[in-house]
Amino acid sequence: MAIFEQALVSGILIGGVYALIGIGLTIIFGVMRVINFAHGDLLMVGMYLTYYIFTILHIDPFLSIAITIPLMFLFGAFLQKFFINRVLNALPQNQILLTIGLGLIMSNTVMLAFTSDYKILTTKYSSSSVTILGISISSPLVISFAITVAISLALTWFLRETNTGQAIRATAQDREAATLMGINVKRMSIIAFGLGSALAGTAGALIAPTYYIFPQVGSIFTLKAFVITVLGGLGSVSGAMIGGVLIGVAESVGGAYLGSGWKEVITFVLFLLVLLLKPSGLRGKSQT
Amino acid sequence: MTPAADAGKGTHYVPLALITLSIGVLLMVPLFVESTYLLHMMILIFINVIIGSAWNILGGYTGQYSVGHAAYFGVGAYTTMILLQYRQIAPWYGIWAGAVVALMTALIIGSICFRLRGSYFVLASIAVAEIFRVSALNLKAITNGAEGILITEIPPLTIGGTLITDWESKIPFYYTGLIFALVSITVSWLVLRSKLGYCFQAIREDQDAAHSLGINPTLYKNAALAISAIFTALAGGLYGAYVGFIDPSTVLGLEKSIQIVVVCIIGGVGTIFGPVLGAALLVPLSEALRSNVITDLLIKAGLVRAESPVGVFLKENLAHAHVLIYGILVVIVILFMPEGVLGFFRKMATRRGSRGSGVGGRRKGKDLAVTSDSEPSTHDPKPATLDSHPATPNSDPRPPTPDSRG
Repeated sequence: MAIFEQALVSGILIGGVYALIGIGLTIIFGVMRVINFAHGDLLMVGMYLTYYIFTILHIDPFLSIAITIPLMFLFGAFLQKFFINRVLNALPQNQILLTIGLGLIMSNTVMLAFTSDYKILTTKYSSSSVTILGISISSPLVISFAITVAISLALTWFLRETNTGQAIRATAQDREAATLMGINVKRMSIIAFGLGSALAGTAGALIAPTYYIFPQVGSIFTLKAFVITVLGGLGSVSGAMIGGVLIGVAESVGGAYLGSGWKEVITFVLFLLVLLLKPSGLRGKSQT
Repeated sequence: MTPAADAGKGTHYVPLALITLSIGVLLMVPLFVESTYLLHMMILIFINVIIGSAWNILGGYTGQYSVGHAAYFGVGAYTTMILLQYRQIAPWYGIWAGAVVALMTALIIGSICFRLRGSYFVLASIAVAEIFRVSALNLKAITNGAEGILITEIPPLTIGGTLITDWESKIPFYYTGLIFALVSITVSWLVLRSKLGYCFQAIREDQDAAHSLGINPTLYKNAALAISAIFTALAGGLYGAYVGFIDPSTVLGLEKSIQIVVVCIIGGVGTIFGPVLGAALLVPLSEALRSNVITDLLIKAGLVRAESPVGVFLKENLAHAHVLIYGILVVIVILFMPEGVLGFFRKMATRRGSRGSGVGGRRKGKDLAVTSDSEPSTHDPKPATLDSHPATPNSDPRPPTPDSRG
């Protein structure tokens, strides 16, 4: 039973980071109905930012998110303004292909600039662990989970209470009605994509101390992000949180029993099942 | 006006003559060309023509954008290679076995994934291909896992005791590739001109309307996938036998799926010669990057010095980034010429000479509810998600159909 509990707890903790990735994707989808296939690559950019801030400026990865978040926000806003905004009315396939193209450009540019070597970010506490109730957990995971919870709460407050947050949610609900209410929809789209990339970048920063950093790491997370958001319901923020934790637990527990090689298959089978049985997701609006 | 369309109507013989001439030239190439590099490039172009045309039948004609076609490519390649490696079955038999396995896989996958539409279908197709990739990585007893399968020699092909080829040079691969490429283009043309093709396009334009007219979407989508999967698997088998090495990430990876789509969209989705053009543009570009031709050119032209840090950097790294060109091309094509290079030039031609006879033909085609010629639908801005029916009336002048949309 100890294996199960261990896997469960670390699954939940990893799930926190997954939730951040999923929330980013779901906000972008909610506001623009664009599925962002470059999401994992944004995360990869966040990882590299964190790595170089750490090695050059010697700033702790968990503190450097204060730099990563605004930088990634600006980067996302730039992508939205100059690329995504142009295809908002195009076929969904073309939108998908555009984001795939942007993702390829990001990963290959990073590869050109920093080579495809694996990089490892090692902090003093990278391999340390804490023991709670007889279960030992790696400390970077605990810290990153605490940060994800804080960010999720802040984001929920932002979307509910602030004017901009409400405008974003209005745009997600009905683009035309939002325009009629005087909301600058294009601006909301830019903010939404900025937010989405900031969240992906933050997730990248949080996993940087525990994960290999290489240019192609993004595609793994792009796929994971889809699974998480579809599981929770595309467009639903709370759904993405639940989906993230569920996938984290499924991978962790599945990996513990079936071997880590097969854990991704579990994720994708789960994904297909959700797509087929309840495509609107756990928290998705059931459209008629 | 596509040459093929003209030839189909039997009014113009010039395009037909052009096609015959180019086939003739292609048949002669190995007789005069010594460079193995050029032959290598041509073989890769042929393989890409096959996968592009195959994807086009599902993605271009039927409108089902599969970003998981690496699954069929990989199934074809793995079946051929496994049969050769462990059962000593020659690839010219194995490749057909690969096509059969891919067909069966396609029917299973199709029956599951075609319940989904639009973006959801894209996601499901990616998930399926990923399941195949991870399975190939883990089923080490059959696929040799991440190490991949390496074959050193192909048994010589003999018919009735006479040696046809020993596969030592690139020439037999050249002709095999050429034949498969021509067959795939012909099938693509035949499909587009047949009743099957019209049903495919009806589904692409408006699935619900097509359904209400008595076209069974699931049946026809599966038919499109079946044809597409067979040719993709043949290309995979050919690739495996030609290169002699396959591993999960090269034949089953997401990058492969994207490459298959890119070949098609660069040239022009839904056109017969789009994939040909796409392959002819993409392969040389990415090969030039891969083999450092561009760096050498820059150095020779005196723009970059070989010893300078920039020169050294380019020499070491540019070869790894040949995929970058895919990314840049995709972004350019989607933003500036969403109908592909072929569609872009055709549009320019139409705009320039509005008196040309080709325009009349196009108009005529457009008046029909089902566009007969190469017009990817761009008029439906609503994403066709699973649950939302396209409720807004389309802008095309289709006669009102009986309201079946609830």
